[in-house]
Amino acid sequence: MHDDLLLYEYDGAVDTATPDAVVLPESTADVAALARFCHEHAVPIVPRGAGTGLSGGAIPVEGGVVVSFARMARILEIDVPNLRAVVQPGLINLHLSTAVAPHGLYFVPDPSSQKACTLGGNVAENSGGPHTLAYGVTTNHVTGVEIVLSDGTVMRLGGKAVEDEGYDLVGSFVGSEGTLGLVTEITVKLTPLPEDKRTLMAAFPTMDEASETVSAIIGAGIVPSAIEMMDQLATQAVEASVHAGYPLDAGGILLVEVDGARDGLDDTRARIEEICRDHAASEVRVAASALERERLWAGRKGAFAAMGRLSPDYYVQDGVIPRTRLPDILRLVKNAGARHGLQVANVFHAGDGNLHPLILFDSRRGPDELERAKAAGLEILTACVEAGGSITGEHGVGMEKNCFMPLQFRPSDLAAMHRLKEAFDPPGLMNPGKVFPTPSRCREFAFASTAR
Amino acid sequence: MTATATRAIPTDATECARLLAEATADHRTVRIRGSATKSYIGDLGATDVELGTERLAGVVDHVPADLTVTVGAGTRLADLTAALARAGQFLPLDPPHADEATVGGIIAANSNGFWRARYGGVRDLLIGTRTALADGTVARAGGRVVKNVAGYDLDKLLVGSFGTLGVIAEATLKVLPLPETSDGLVAGFGRSTEAFAVANTVVRAASRVEACVVERSEDGPWTLAVQARGSDPTVKRALRDARREVTAGHGEAAELADALVRMRDLPARATDGALVRVSLPLAASAAFAESAVRLESFAALIVDAASGIVRVHLVNDDDAVIRDAEALLLAARMVGGAGRIERRAEQLRSRLLTWPNRPNGDFLMRRIKEAFDPAGILEPGRSAFA
Repeated sequence: MHDDLLLYEYDGAVDTATPDAVVLPESTADVAALARFCHEHAVPIVPRGAGTGLSGGAIPVEGGVVVSFARMARILEIDVPNLRAVVQPGLINLHLSTAVAPHGLYFVPDPSSQKACTLGGNVAENSGGPHTLAYGVTTNHVTGVEIVLSDGTVMRLGGKAVEDEGYDLVGSFVGSEGTLGLVTEITVKLTPLPEDKRTLMAAFPTMDEASETVSAIIGAGIVPSAIEMMDQLATQAVEASVHAGYPLDAGGILLVEVDGARDGLDDTRARIEEICRDHAASEVRVAASALERERLWAGRKGAFAAMGRLSPDYYVQDGVIPRTRLPDILRLVKNAGARHGLQVANVFHAGDGNLHPLILFDSRRGPDELERAKAAGLEILTACVEAGGSITGEHGVGMEKNCFMPLQFRPSDLAAMHRLKEAFDPPGLMNPGKVFPTPSRCREFAFASTAR
Repeated sequence: MTATATRAIPTDATECARLLAEATADHRTVRIRGSATKSYIGDLGATDVELGTERLAGVVDHVPADLTVTVGAGTRLADLTAALARAGQFLPLDPPHADEATVGGIIAANSNGFWRARYGGVRDLLIGTRTALADGTVARAGGRVVKNVAGYDLDKLLVGSFGTLGVIAEATLKVLPLPETSDGLVAGFGRSTEAFAVANTVVRAASRVEACVVERSEDGPWTLAVQARGSDPTVKRALRDARREVTAGHGEAAELADALVRMRDLPARATDGALVRVSLPLAASAAFAESAVRLESFAALIVDAASGIVRVHLVNDDDAVIRDAEALLLAARMVGGAGRIERRAEQLRSRLLTWPNRPNGDFLMRRIKEAFDPAGILEPGRSAFA
């Protein structure tokens, strides 16, 4: 029995805590009954999708009941005329796009974990993915939710229309990391599949040239559907495991995709190629077939998993910077790792300025390793905020970065956010210990906001 | 608004917050004024203070390569458009009253145009805010980067809040490179089914158009307006596809000219009768439009076929206008939509409220309002949930 609970004590991040109980509801009514019980007994509630989250969002840090949505994983409706789908929160992200593909439609947000992560988790974290540069993240694709509040109240917010009257409660709820309520049903936008795509891989001598190419592409008036970047360390790990065909001698690699109507796509592709070559690209390869495109993407999507080739453990950060600051921040990232005696691999959404430094460590060498990785991570996040950015672009704050929130936000900013929390969850039972700094766990972090 | 309201014109967010703290302490109600283009929305009585945002104006920061701009809320969209154009960029928003409206007012009123389906609406373009709150504090949300999930998305809460939660002093928005070229068409159809069938195909086409609108006035035909902007090959393709659909739907295509400008500004012209604005599931708009034109008071309608926003102008004697307006709002609710009386003639104000129906989640909205503005000083009469 206790062993069963252990399955729920970790997620994709580095922190753990054992739940007091795990419940697998099968309906909204089950969720509401559970919430009423927890409300009556003042027990914390922690929602959980697939446990792929990277900020400890599903970890019951203050104990309580973990609510797994594994048994609420159905597509309730595919509404082609209205370009909407209504789904349960436990549905796996990729299953939705697969199910609607015969209608020529897809669900845009595509986190790297899309073969495992759930729509409920995507809503909680406001998940992104490589293809959000042109088309937006989860919040831009959700028009309605059914939620259960911590007192058991069931509410429907929004629907299939693009907006509702009154405050945008759907927009306020998405990305709230399970701290405002439990989502039990989601209405999402479906998007017509692009007619065609062009996918390019460009190799550069250094990350500087790759970074400058990103700004040059955007500066030329091109908004690709994705621009991903990888450094040499990441490339080597990926090649060892996935064989995506990335050149091993490149200092930096860009993966650029443009999509839309077939007309003009080749012009755009040619312009991107030219920009890459103007920025000293040693190789530009255009995927000649769907298979080649998939292979190029397989390298990117398998990059986190490939890190096992380099190191037994990694700690991934998720800071965001204005993309024009990429070259200097990437140097700083490397130095932060070196200062703590750790290697850092970079695989990230360059078009959005959303970094994913993977700080490599080996926990077998002692608890000090993780602490050093976290210290390097904090230095990187501080630099991101100082550059006018954010401590998280898509992984969420969770229990991993809640103590760092004062880096980015002043007390008055956090107080305003907390008003929303109090309106949705007055007793504070929803996923406690997340998003906001907690006195017990954040004592050692006392920094003034460095944000502009 | 009354002539006796005290006028306050703060120069920054901090001064703005101090004014609000004083008003809270004295229980003085506050109306926020940008260019007052949308003052017809809401059920306002007199307020004690009128807070003008004209000094919270100007571009604070624009880094073209980051595709973001930070502006004072009192900046007029037209001025921002001119500033961005000098860097070859634009803010992809085409709201009504675009000549006069301020950025803050556009956000507060969630004022969108026909470009919404192509580029996203206000909620999708807004990435950061600095807001003066009723307790005298200034709260920032979001930031200046295009991707950011740190903390709650208070930006979304502010969009469409009509100033009831605070005074937006500064906003950061996503911008885009100006498209290379533009082309469009209008087409007349004898029947609504033909017009909507064509519109339906156009909005799903591979070459994503910028605007796709269906209009009908009292005696006129069903008119479809389509505009595409982008690179030359994509625009040519979009127009080629649209023309083919128009011909297949027995329509007559002609030059677009300024048709979209006229359609967009229906709210500015609709000073008589009532203007009903609803947001519908996409596929519901055709049947809704068909039933609207049969109403006794029907004068004109505009359907944004790409986003499901429909505006119906009703003109008749007061009783008929009220009856028809209420019927339209009910019809919208029946198909899973929502709506409001966006504008009505002065004599109808007391009989036809802006939000006659409570939205879903109204009790949460009231709690949020109380949390941000416990004394209830901000924009009385502009809450859908009151």
